[in-house]
Amino acid sequence: MKYCKFFLIIIFFILILEESLKANNNILLVDKISKNLRCLICQGQSIYDSQSDFAISMKLLIKKKINEGQSEKQIYDLLKSKYGAWIVYDPEINEKTLVLWIFPLILFIFGGILIIRKVFIN
Amino acid sequence: MLLSQLGFYSLILGLLLSFILLIFSYKNLFTKDINLKKNIYYISFLQFFLVIQSFFCLIYSFIVSDFSNETVYNNSHTTKPFFYKISGTWGNHEGSLLLWLLVLTLFIFLFLIFSKEQPKKYRLLTLLFQQIIIIGFFLFVLFASNPFNYLFPIPKEGLGLNPILQDPALAIHPPILYLGYVGSSIIFSSSLSALICKNVNSNWARHIKLWIFLSWTFLTLGIMIGSIWAYYELGWGGFWFWDPVENISLMPWLCLTALLHTIVVLEKRQVLKLWTLILSIATFTFSMTGTFLVRSGILNSVHTFANDPTRGLFILIFLFVLILLSLLILFLYQPKTSNLQKKFFFLSKETSILVNNWFMIYFLSVIFIGTTYPIFLEVLTNAKISVGPPFYQKLLLPFLIFFLIFMSFGPNLKWIKSSFKKIKFKQIFPFIISIIISYLIIIKTNSEHLFSTILFVSAFYLFFTASRDLIKKENHLSQKISHFGFSLLVLAILLNSVFADEFSANMKIGEEIKFKNSFIKFKKIETYEEKNYKSIVADFEIEDKKKIINLKPEIRIYNQPNILTSEADIKVSFFSDKFLVMNLLKDDDFFNVRYQIKPFMLWIWISGLLLAIGGFLGLIRKFK
Repeated sequence: MKYCKFFLIIIFFILILEESLKANNNILLVDKISKNLRCLICQGQSIYDSQSDFAISMKLLIKKKINEGQSEKQIYDLLKSKYGAWIVYDPEINEKTLVLWIFPLILFIFGGILIIRKVFIN
Repeated sequence: MLLSQLGFYSLILGLLLSFILLIFSYKNLFTKDINLKKNIYYISFLQFFLVIQSFFCLIYSFIVSDFSNETVYNNSHTTKPFFYKISGTWGNHEGSLLLWLLVLTLFIFLFLIFSKEQPKKYRLLTLLFQQIIIIGFFLFVLFASNPFNYLFPIPKEGLGLNPILQDPALAIHPPILYLGYVGSSIIFSSSLSALICKNVNSNWARHIKLWIFLSWTFLTLGIMIGSIWAYYELGWGGFWFWDPVENISLMPWLCLTALLHTIVVLEKRQVLKLWTLILSIATFTFSMTGTFLVRSGILNSVHTFANDPTRGLFILIFLFVLILLSLLILFLYQPKTSNLQKKFFFLSKETSILVNNWFMIYFLSVIFIGTTYPIFLEVLTNAKISVGPPFYQKLLLPFLIFFLIFMSFGPNLKWIKSSFKKIKFKQIFPFIISIIISYLIIIKTNSEHLFSTILFVSAFYLFFTASRDLIKKENHLSQKISHFGFSLLVLAILLNSVFADEFSANMKIGEEIKFKNSFIKFKKIETYEEKNYKSIVADFEIEDKKKIINLKPEIRIYNQPNILTSEADIKVSFFSDKFLVMNLLKDDDFFNVRYQIKPFMLWIWISGLLLAIGGFLGLIRKFK
C-alpha cells in the first residue's frame, strides 16, 4: 500500500513535468548579459526589461560584440570602463566591495561559533 | 477646506492627548490599584477616534477633490475613478504617514483591551513607550509632512496619481503592510516594558505571541500582494526584482520570522531571553528604517515617489533616539537566565530553532548589506555600484540548500533532547525520489548541473517531508500549514525560474511569428477613450498544438499626469501562466511584443497565502 502511494507521487510528478518540460529553456547570451545590466536612464530596470532608446542601443551593441567573438566577461569590462561599475548588477570583488561580499559570511561564521558555544560548551 | 481644518486640529488634539496619557499613566504607576484607571482607556480611545476623524477628513477631501488641500492637489484629479480617489489617500507620503499613525493609535488601544490579565506596571510602561513612538509620529506628521497644508489660490485641477498606483492590489497593499509594520511597534514597546518589569518569561511570551502572529500574518500578506502587483503591473513578468523597496519589506519579515520561532523557545523553556528582546527591537527598527529609506528618497528605485531630505533627517534622528533608548534599557536591565536552564542538547527543538535563527539572520544580513552598502559607498567615496539579482543569488542560494535540509527534520525534533532513531526506509525513500525527479528536471534544462540538482533535491525533499508532516497529528496546524506553504513556495519559485520561457520581437498588425511549437498572431488593435486615459487594446492569438488562446494586452495613455503604461494580459492556469505585454515603439507600425510562459506562477501565490493562513490560524488559536 505504502509503495503504491510513493509510485503514485512519482507518476504524478512525471506527468506534471511532461506537461511543463516541453518549453525547453534556451537562454540566449544577449538576454543573459542584458539581464545583468542596469538601464542607466530608467528607474530600477534592467536593460533586458527596458524598451528605452538606451536599452535598445545597448542590446544592439551587446549583439555586435558577441558576433565579434568577445566573451561575456570582456563585454562587461568594456561597458564598465565606458559607463562605470554602476551598470552591472553583479558587483565585482575589489577593495571597495570587499565588505559587501564578506560581511554576511563573517556574520554567519560568528553566529555558528555562538551556537556551538551554546550547545557544546556550558 | 473646513474639513482640512478639522483634520488638522484633530491631530493637534491627538498629540495633546498623548501628553495627557503620559502624565496619567505615570501617576497611575504609583497607585495601589490592580487595574488601570478607566480614563486611560477612554483617552486612548479618544486619541484613536481623533486620528480616524482626521483620516476621514483627508479621505473626504480626496473624494470631493478639494484642491485647496496640497496633498489632494498633488495626488488627485477630478477624472480619477472614485475607488482610486479613496486609495489615493494613502498612495502618497503624507497620507500613508497618517495611516501609520492611525494604526499606531488603534493598536495601543487594542493592546490595552487584550492585556487585562497582565501586570499593571507592564501595561502602563508599554503604553508609555508606545506613546513616545506615537508622539514622534504626531510631530512628524504635523511639522514635516502635514497632509492638510492649505493652498491659495485654489487650483482648478489636481496633478493626478501615478497611474501604476491606480490598481486594486496597490490600493490594499499599503494598509495591510502597515498593519504588519505597526504591529511590530507593540512588540517593541512591550519587550522594553517587560524588560524593566523583569517580566521576560513564559507568561509574557504567550501573551506577546498574539502580536507577533498578527504582525507576521499581515506582513506576509502585504509583501505577497505587493509582489502580485509587481508581476502584472510592472510588465516585466517577474515577481521579485530585488529592488531596494522590496528588500526593505523583506527585512522586518525575516527578523519577525526568527522572532516567531524564538518566542516559542522562551515560552517553553525560559531561555534565549536576551536574544528574543534583541529580535523584537530589531524588527521594529527595520520597520522604521523601511519607512525612512523609502520616504526620504535615498533609494534609487521604481517605488520612490517622495524626495525630501528634511523628512529623512527627522526619521533618522527619531530612529536613533529609539535605538539608543532601547539599548540603554537593555544594558541597564539585562535579563538573567538561571544556569540550570542554559543547557542546550545538540539534537533538540531549541537547537534547531537556533539554527533557524542563524540562517534567518544570515539571509537578513545579505539583504541588508546589499540594500544599504551602495548608499554608504556613494556617500563616503562617491563610487556608484549596483547590487542586483546576481549578488543575492550567489550569496543566498548555497545557504538555502542547507537551510532547506535543516528545515526538513528540525520541526520533528523534541524539546530538550531527541535521539537518533534508526534511519528508516520511510525517510530514505522520499530522498531517493527527490534525487530522481531533480535529475530528470535538470537534464532537460541548460542550468549548471550539479548545483541545481542539489538545490532541487533539497527543495523536493523538504516538500515531501512537509507534506508528510501535514497529515501527522503532532505539532500545531498553523505550523504545519506555514511550513508546507514555505516548502511549496521554494519549489514553485525554483521550477518557475528553470522552466520559464519567453519570446520578444517587434511585430506589426497582421503578422504571425512562430515560437517553438506555437504560433503568435497579432490580429488587430482597437482604441478606446476612457474617463482618465486613452487605451490601445491589441488582440493576439496564440496557437498551441492543443488549443488557441486569445490575449489582449493594453497600452494606456493617461492624461493626468501624462504617463504611458503597459497592461499585460495574463492567462492564468493551474500549471502555467501565459503572459503577454506590448510596448509602443517610435516606428508607428510596429509594437514591441513580449510573450512569456511562466510555469507554476499560481503556486507561488497559493503558497504565500498558505504561509499567511498558517499565521492566521496561530493567531486565532491564541484567542481560544
